[in-house]
Amino acid sequence: MATFYDQVKEMGIKQAALAKADEVVERITAGMNIGDIRAALRGDEPRRPNPRLRPHADSFWLHIRPSFYHTEVTHIYPTFRLGWLSTFMFVWETITGIILMVFYTPSPLVAYSNMWNILSNVPLGQLIRNMHRIGAEAMVLVVAMHMLRTFITGSYKKPRQFTWATGMILLVLTLMLSFSGYLLPWDQLAYWALTVFISGAEAAPAPAVVNQNILLILQGAPSLGADGLLRWYLLHVLLLPLLLAIFFFVHYYKVVLYGISLPPGREEIGEDTAKRVPKDERTYFIPDILTNELMWSGLATLFLVAGAMWLWDAPLETHADPIVTPLHVVAPWYLSWSQGWLKLADKTLVVGFIPALLVAFIVMPYFEVGKSRRYADRRVGLSVSFLFMAFMLVSNWMGTPEYRVASSPDREVGIKVLPEEGPSLMYALPYDQVLKGRFLPGQEIRGNEAMTAALASLKKAVLAHSCVLDRSVGNPNIPTIKASEWTQCRVRELQSGDKVYDAGFTRDVMPNPYVELQIEEIQPRLLRLTLVFQVKEPDNPEEYRINTTWTAFRHADSNYEDECRFINKSSKCR
Amino acid sequence: MQVKIVIGTISFMLTMMILGFVALQEPARLERFTAARQGRQIEQGAHLYDSQCATCHGVNGDATECYDAATGERIGCQGLPLNYKPMLCGDRTARMVALGWDGTKHGFVAATIAVGRFGTAMPAWAQEYGGPLRPDEVEDLVQFVLNWETEELCAQPDFVFEWPATIEELLVAFPEGDAARGEGLYTTYGCSGCHGNLTDPASAAVGPWQGNLPEVAATRVEGLSAAQYVYESILYPNNYVVADCPNGPCTVPSSMPNNFPLRMGDSPERPQDLIDIMTYLGVLPLP
Repeated sequence: MATFYDQVKEMGIKQAALAKADEVVERITAGMNIGDIRAALRGDEPRRPNPRLRPHADSFWLHIRPSFYHTEVTHIYPTFRLGWLSTFMFVWETITGIILMVFYTPSPLVAYSNMWNILSNVPLGQLIRNMHRIGAEAMVLVVAMHMLRTFITGSYKKPRQFTWATGMILLVLTLMLSFSGYLLPWDQLAYWALTVFISGAEAAPAPAVVNQNILLILQGAPSLGADGLLRWYLLHVLLLPLLLAIFFFVHYYKVVLYGISLPPGREEIGEDTAKRVPKDERTYFIPDILTNELMWSGLATLFLVAGAMWLWDAPLETHADPIVTPLHVVAPWYLSWSQGWLKLADKTLVVGFIPALLVAFIVMPYFEVGKSRRYADRRVGLSVSFLFMAFMLVSNWMGTPEYRVASSPDREVGIKVLPEEGPSLMYALPYDQVLKGRFLPGQEIRGNEAMTAALASLKKAVLAHSCVLDRSVGNPNIPTIKASEWTQCRVRELQSGDKVYDAGFTRDVMPNPYVELQIEEIQPRLLRLTLVFQVKEPDNPEEYRINTTWTAFRHADSNYEDECRFINKSSKCR
Repeated sequence: MQVKIVIGTISFMLTMMILGFVALQEPARLERFTAARQGRQIEQGAHLYDSQCATCHGVNGDATECYDAATGERIGCQGLPLNYKPMLCGDRTARMVALGWDGTKHGFVAATIAVGRFGTAMPAWAQEYGGPLRPDEVEDLVQFVLNWETEELCAQPDFVFEWPATIEELLVAFPEGDAARGEGLYTTYGCSGCHGNLTDPASAAVGPWQGNLPEVAATRVEGLSAAQYVYESILYPNNYVVADCPNGPCTVPSSMPNNFPLRMGDSPERPQDLIDIMTYLGVLPLP
């Protein structure tokens, strides 16, 4: 072997350096030199033997990628790039997650202030946090759609049953990863979503002593605290990513082994041609698939960065408080269906049903052995899957507070207009336009559009939870709302003899309410906003049905305006 | 393939442009969020103040308007005023000097809330010291209390009234009392919350009834006139504690607020309030 010095003597410095560079590149790419890379990028034919296959054999990163695909599977349909995007999301979450880890300590004493430190003291901190959040939700969506696509094209069938099984496990790990990250900010949202969700463990169909100990392990104490936070943190940053990585490589290796199944109509029933591809129908990984994947990575990065900037703001509520339960505790949207089921059926039944459903999904390909992947031959299976999807959508809606968890009407109005957590129109008004005094719903303040809009939103909330005894008269208590805007009361008598007043589809509303908003400045740049609710018993005007107040505070600098910019929060600011 | 390379490159460039755009706005955003953090701490502190502190320090922090948490009735304020110049103004407030606190103002307020103040009605609030509040809640309260500081408040002239030892000396400066005004002040200062009204002995819930004060006060302590006894008892409740209260033996130290020397002495004219109340109670004018 000639040394570099020998080469210089033999070829001159320029030639020797070029040869050396070529050699280094060939080592790094495990087989392709500079000329090969240029040829690949130009779209030239490879030289013989094909150097573009060598990285698949010799390099670590490409050995779990097939060296070519059937050209039929390289178009948008049938894969929609969902598998690649799932992988991309995992890498994305790992990178943004590691950056966030730098600024985070898993302790109830400091976790919450760490969040504010990220937002107020770390350059690009809010962007990174939002990128991690939108990436997490996008990953759940992409992985779920990847599974859906695999089912619809029948790609779970033999020989890919095990690929499907690992895919199901990856889906569950994705959901758990997303959900385990929920606790880390240690705010009210985190604390109560987790508390409610893992309390499900207590209802599992197993002996009570087992359930209680599982719950104890999950919480680290009789209620979530320092130990619980540390456990969920370690799950989130260590155990779950590790498990996911393991199953990810198994999943990927199965793709090398079996290839990607062709669109169902493109091959004979019972055949699997993905690995027996004629030469002229091959699309090689280098350069075509690689370029394609890099393009999709670029587009996904653009979407996620822009989304973190303008679309999706990670919520941060007030500090976790084990004593005060917020009015409406909701699971994240991708688990809302389970909350819906809990409202429908017995807790033990639901908690037992979910793992049973998961097992059923995993073993499904081993029982569903119909040979044809064609849509026309799988009418029953596809119909059942669409019914299941519809059921999940309805369940998801049932999981929201709109379904069967209305509180008293005054509290419902209070939480809409002056929520305990998060932004609202009232909190986002420009501070200098907020007037002090007492105001009625729907009151118009001349020359002050912001206040008028805020009082209109109060009117909307009041109307949604009120009725009038006589619609032709309206509500004399609130003259600022026209008679025609109110809903007529329907009276319902309970067995106890008490009367309940309904309006339209809303049960238990306020008959002829009096509502006023009081705004006072109690400290420099600090407002106290008080909603006063007075509802007299229609049959006995001496007595109050409801006589309550709902108080919130708003500081001039509280900056809810910034949150209202994002579309995931803007609906609260209208 | 060329198209894909172009699309990928363009997306990469757009991403970089967005990042650059974000980076340019970062300094302003960080400032907004720093202020927002403090603003939201103050909001949380306001909630806590309303539920935990207002009963003793008054709804406006000036120890004038206090309400019983359970019944909603007006009671005497046990605490010192907080929305108050000697508490808030300057890096080293008058209160810190008086108590010999060498640390920061923030630390002083935080420590007072966390561990309470020995020998007064102020209990420890931090969970660490047996109270109900988490560390973050103590911090929220500190931010809220310090937010009362304004230029206007701190521009007020310093004034602490020097109370003379005897009522006679005070009467030299404030010779006339107004019983009607005293009746109003009897409620405003929260006296009626514990001592009830002057007509019905049953109205006194916590402290002794004051309807028969002129007769009782004259005989309570040998050598003290009725007026001198009442004068001292209002300003320094622990000087003389009577044996029996409406709800059993009176507590020692007295549960009566001991902040009246401050509250009735925060301006040159304010001691008139004491004269008016004593006139209303019937121990002034002197016989």
